[in-house]
Amino acid sequence: MDITLFTPEESPFFQSTQQSNGQAAIDMHSNNQPQNSHTSTSRSSDSGVLPSASGKWASRLLKECAQAISEKDSSKIHQLLWMLNELASPYGDCDQKLASYFLQALFCKATESGQRCYKTLTSVAERSHSFDSARKLILKFQEVSPWMTFGHVASNGAILEALEGETKLHIIDISNTLCTQWPTLLEALATRNDDTPHLKLTVVVTTSTVKSVMKEVGQRMEKFARLMGVPFEFNAIMGLNHLAELTKEVLGVQEDEAIVVNCIGALRRAEVEERGAVIQMFQSLRPRVVTIVEEEADLSSSRDDFVKCFEECLRFYTLYFEMLEESFVPTSNERLMLERESSRSIVRVLACDDEKSSEEDCERRERGSQWSERLKEAFSPVGFSDDVVDDVKALLKRYKAGWALVLPQGDHDDSGIYLTWKEEPVLWASAWKP
Amino acid sequence: MPVDLDNSSTASGEASVSSSGNQSQPPKPTAKKKRSLPGMPDPDAEVIALSPKTLMATNRFVCEICNKGFQRDQNLQLHRRGHNLPWKLRQRSSKEVKKRVYVCPEQSCVHHDPTRALGDLTGIKKHFCRKHGEKKWKCEKCSKKYAVQSDWKAHSKICGTREYKCDCGTLFSRRDSFITHRAFCDALAEESARAQTQPVANPNSESDTKIQAVDSSPPTPVPVPAPAPAPAPAPAPAPAPAQAQAQAQAQAQAQAQAQAPPAPPQPQSSGVISSVLPIKSPELPENQTQIVEETPVTTGLNGSCSSTTSSSSNGSTSCSVFANLFASSTASASLQTPQTHGFSDLIRAMAARPDPPTDLARPPSTEPISLCLSTNHGSSIFGTAGQERRQYAPPPQPAMSATALLQKAAQMGAAATNASLLRGFGIVSSSSSSGQQDGLHWSQRQVEPDNASVPPGLGLGLHCDGGSGLKELMMGTPSVFGPKQTTLDFLGLGMAAGGSTNSGLSALITSIGGGLDVAAAAAASFGGGEFTGKDIGRSS
Repeated sequence: MDITLFTPEESPFFQSTQQSNGQAAIDMHSNNQPQNSHTSTSRSSDSGVLPSASGKWASRLLKECAQAISEKDSSKIHQLLWMLNELASPYGDCDQKLASYFLQALFCKATESGQRCYKTLTSVAERSHSFDSARKLILKFQEVSPWMTFGHVASNGAILEALEGETKLHIIDISNTLCTQWPTLLEALATRNDDTPHLKLTVVVTTSTVKSVMKEVGQRMEKFARLMGVPFEFNAIMGLNHLAELTKEVLGVQEDEAIVVNCIGALRRAEVEERGAVIQMFQSLRPRVVTIVEEEADLSSSRDDFVKCFEECLRFYTLYFEMLEESFVPTSNERLMLERESSRSIVRVLACDDEKSSEEDCERRERGSQWSERLKEAFSPVGFSDDVVDDVKALLKRYKAGWALVLPQGDHDDSGIYLTWKEEPVLWASAWKP
Repeated sequence: MPVDLDNSSTASGEASVSSSGNQSQPPKPTAKKKRSLPGMPDPDAEVIALSPKTLMATNRFVCEICNKGFQRDQNLQLHRRGHNLPWKLRQRSSKEVKKRVYVCPEQSCVHHDPTRALGDLTGIKKHFCRKHGEKKWKCEKCSKKYAVQSDWKAHSKICGTREYKCDCGTLFSRRDSFITHRAFCDALAEESARAQTQPVANPNSESDTKIQAVDSSPPTPVPVPAPAPAPAPAPAPAPAPAQAQAQAQAQAQAQAQAQAPPAPPQPQSSGVISSVLPIKSPELPENQTQIVEETPVTTGLNGSCSSTTSSSSNGSTSCSVFANLFASSTASASLQTPQTHGFSDLIRAMAARPDPPTDLARPPSTEPISLCLSTNHGSSIFGTAGQERRQYAPPPQPAMSATALLQKAAQMGAAATNASLLRGFGIVSSSSSSGQQDGLHWSQRQVEPDNASVPPGLGLGLHCDGGSGLKELMMGTPSVFGPKQTTLDFLGLGMAAGGSTNSGLSALITSIGGGLDVAAAAAASFGGGEFTGKDIGRSS
């Protein structure tokens, strides 16, 4: 442990918490001198020598705390929470941020206040949400990181290929990316060799924060389609409790339309038990293609094992926060907003488990291979063409180093392509047909 | 990308051969479209139908020495001369002057009809390849695909160097992020608002011209902070054009004045002005900026442009951009006459043209935006005939047109640079950040009392038996938590930002964050000024 972070008296305390749990630690703590919290919080962890091997103090403390919570070791829980609170800051470096947001979730878990905390965070987010801030955030994020654009380019490529020659298109978009995926598709349609098709875009809004801005977004899409000369119709469907409730009628699906279902980060918002039904519903629409993009983490199979789930969640968000740190400038407001969004999601995953009251934002991610299992019940995979793969590669070249595209290995049963960040798969994109 | 302007005028090799004959007749498919307006291009012309194979054949004439291929025998002959081989150039007999037009072999194509035949061989080849051929040339950098190698070459040269500029001041090197941005930028809303109040003569199918200008002169930004009247006017190059420019300048200023207030849609003729913007072209006189600087002096000339006038002018440099346009059209005569209704008539006429030249113009909607589209080609009202041709010449192949349109839209918006910048970035972002701050504070307020209502021994609520130890911990180390009530502090844990130890700090940081944001906004608006300046710099 980084001794510069602590008063000398504290170092032994730390070692003991690592080796043993419970009593020894609290003894050490009672000997402890009160420390000046300001010094410790204001110090950045990289000012000292970090233990290189095990690296991140936040991850270690957090995991230990999660362990203590699952063991219901309250004294240890409190020491660790206290310690984390001293070290954490949402404005610090990556470790401090992770500590801060995961501490919040751990605290909620320990006090069973997750649902309340989540609601508070959500309403805060809704209150501060406006079209302008949302637009600025999403465009900036797309400018500095392929996190979203990766899925957009891959999906649009698959969609355009599946709809080649069709004249009446209907895209059902369940993605909460504020339609930022569609301008390039509209442009591609406008420049298609054959006649410009008619496009109906039906956006299914599943998050409350997006609802307020959909009107603005819709107007812009209409305007842009007009500019591009694409005959266009825009619909938004809100107030849905469960994705599986969607029907042809609700979606306004016509017989002569070529249907596309585009899901970016949408499936994970459905309850785990509901997911099969959602996929069945997709199937009933008889789409030409279904495009799925999800973040690569397994927060569903381990959901009954708190520690395991916590570790996976921490792994994923550590990658995400590091990615944000390298993509944005340190003072970026957008980065802060994205991190806050994550904090909601973290609380949702880790501290709101047993409560069924929230019908949205389940956030239990699954890995690409797990999604594939589910999707194969109703669909068969469509490989991305070389052209689309090239497009994605070209896209990644424009961002900072660290991003790469990984194609499924030959004999492997996986379908879809992966976006990796520093060799770690973080996003999965795939296309399916009935 | 369609052959950019430079391609058609300065291209080398085979292209030059084809373009050499072009002086008399516009070569490109689109140019042809215009010619075909009255009907049959030339009843006497010999209509030639070539097979797809012939059209796709490249470099049929191969040198037996070095295997270099040529599209035309003439070129091969010239090449053979270099090898000291016998060579023979066909003489152009008077017979050969008979005009030929070419039809597209594709049955479904509009150019299959002899009345819509294309005027030259290169034109038909490129048309066939672009429209009906496989796009086998792919840009390494952006993966955009081309059917015609020369298009691809032209694109590859500039890919990544080109900048797409939105009127909000943002520059993009990536086409798709520009497209996405355009769809969401306020500028688009602005533009349509303006278009509603005023039929806009819309400039350019020719973003090419503009892009070329941008590319050819490396960004030598002349950072002229918008409101600062620059000193040291330098002598204008030639009196007459300078005057014209000055007029235009003054006029543009008046326009900008009208636009400056951030109130959104104003009935104003600025559309007309701004629309001319893209005409600005490389042939501009050198010292654009100097002209800008001169402005205050020449304001008096404003009178001649009374139709667009408004009150006084001060040196808002962003307008100078518009001056270029007038300047580049150098048709000072046309400057004297600009009457808004005249324009709109013209525009209407253009819009009503039975044969809208590009695919994009097709939607017959009379909505303002579409109107802009269809008047895309009407921009040359300001120009001389020569310029008009120029305007029409480069073929808006659909792929181009879409981007061109965007680019155009961006340029249009430049008319409102100042206003929209402030609106789009400054005000908006600062308000959003303050909203955020509010949210934060609110959350603190919300959360703390909330938690406070939980009994102090909340720790005891944990399903475990260590409750007492807990309490001990909390009570035993009051100094750790500072002078405040321990429970609240401890519970403050729940919200890291609301924690007692942090709250001061976080509030501070939040406010700093807000401040930063404002600073960024300010920077953005400066940026806007700079870009405008850059524009000026480039065009000079």
